[in-house]
Amino acid sequence: MSVQVAQSQHPDPYAAADELRTTLGELKPVLVLFFASSSYGPDGISAAMKNAFPDSTVIGCSTAGEIISGSMLNNSVVAMAMDADTIQNVHADTITLKSPDFADETLTRLAKAAGNTPISLDPARYVGLILFDGLSGAEESTMERIGDLTNIQVIGGSAGDDLAFSATYVYLNGKAYSNTAVFAILEPKKKFDIIKTQSFCSLGKKLTPTKVDPASRKVIEFNGKPAAVAYAEAIGVSCSDAASHFMKNPVGLMAGDEPFVRSPQRIEGDAVFFYCQVREGVDLDVLSSTDIIADTKKILDEKNKATPIEALINFNCILRTLELKQEGNDATYGELFYDIPTVGFSTYGEEYIGHINQTATMLAFLK
Amino acid sequence: MAGKIKKLIDSLIEQRSQGSASIATTTRTKLLLKGIDAKKYTEQSDDDPAVINTIMQVANEMGISLKV
Repeated sequence: MSVQVAQSQHPDPYAAADELRTTLGELKPVLVLFFASSSYGPDGISAAMKNAFPDSTVIGCSTAGEIISGSMLNNSVVAMAMDADTIQNVHADTITLKSPDFADETLTRLAKAAGNTPISLDPARYVGLILFDGLSGAEESTMERIGDLTNIQVIGGSAGDDLAFSATYVYLNGKAYSNTAVFAILEPKKKFDIIKTQSFCSLGKKLTPTKVDPASRKVIEFNGKPAAVAYAEAIGVSCSDAASHFMKNPVGLMAGDEPFVRSPQRIEGDAVFFYCQVREGVDLDVLSSTDIIADTKKILDEKNKATPIEALINFNCILRTLELKQEGNDATYGELFYDIPTVGFSTYGEEYIGHINQTATMLAFLK
Repeated sequence: MAGKIKKLIDSLIEQRSQGSASIATTTRTKLLLKGIDAKKYTEQSDDDPAVINTIMQVANEMGISLKV
């Protein structure tokens, strides 16, 4: 077995890391990926995990809930260990999120370690894994810069803190970082695939941002009207009711039939704030929610049928988790991954090509 | 004048993808996320200087040389 997963709910970070090490047995992992509740202190859990896996590259982050094969958890730490039969090489480092330009230096250094330049990295051979400080607000600009520099696919998530929205952390090799991303170039031994799933359909109505403040993720006007008014009209409700429809009716940037979801967060005055940036002049489709369980099962079945999945890393939006919990479906969602070695977490944003919301982005290692 | 925007976008995608269909698709999505919706522009689209300027800037960020 070249991939194994483990969980611990021991509140002491060193005891939790030891329990993970014991569960993972004799595996000699090249890479250990872990996701830990914010109930663990950042310095303690990062140091404990590196202490338990001193010969591995150890990457992780804080969460808003953890995912492991068969279950959605809280107040736990989950880990996936991958040996050389799954990951041939991993090159990882931090990106300071003070400016998108810091991505250049990190990516160039990591690509060089892989014997390449960023643009010459073969997308069929390498995949990028990224974890952001989920309160940095820097995901869009950093993902865009990385996308400028390389053609490899980059997937990941924004760290959480169990809905406290106070402090989120990323972890690399025993240290904890804020206002930072951890970026890794992975060279899987076998084939891999990206799964992106969101449970929405288009209502066929367009909202075009005509006045925005991208830095604060604020839309001031849609279609030349106050943003809150235009949004409420589009979904056929009063302005005072609009915010209660945010979860079921976000908007999507349509790449063909594929929405890149932008989730409204709050209304202030007539402006609508989003969980990610919205660009002026680019049409957005008004979306309506569908069934997360059915849609996720369908895509997993399709992918598994095409080529069986050996292991899965799931970056699942906290808004999806909240909807699943609201509808009593969180246990059912966890069970979708029962037969697949899986770890993941409830994120404050998902990464795939760019920064997105209300989506699950998954990295699948194939058999 | 018309059609320049489509030509520039097509050239950017062609240079970046080097014939790879999957890289071409990803590049279109990258442009969309940067505010350039490739499917909105045809050979009849007006040569809007602001849009042309944005495409040139994006090309520069991607290390691609475009000629207007």
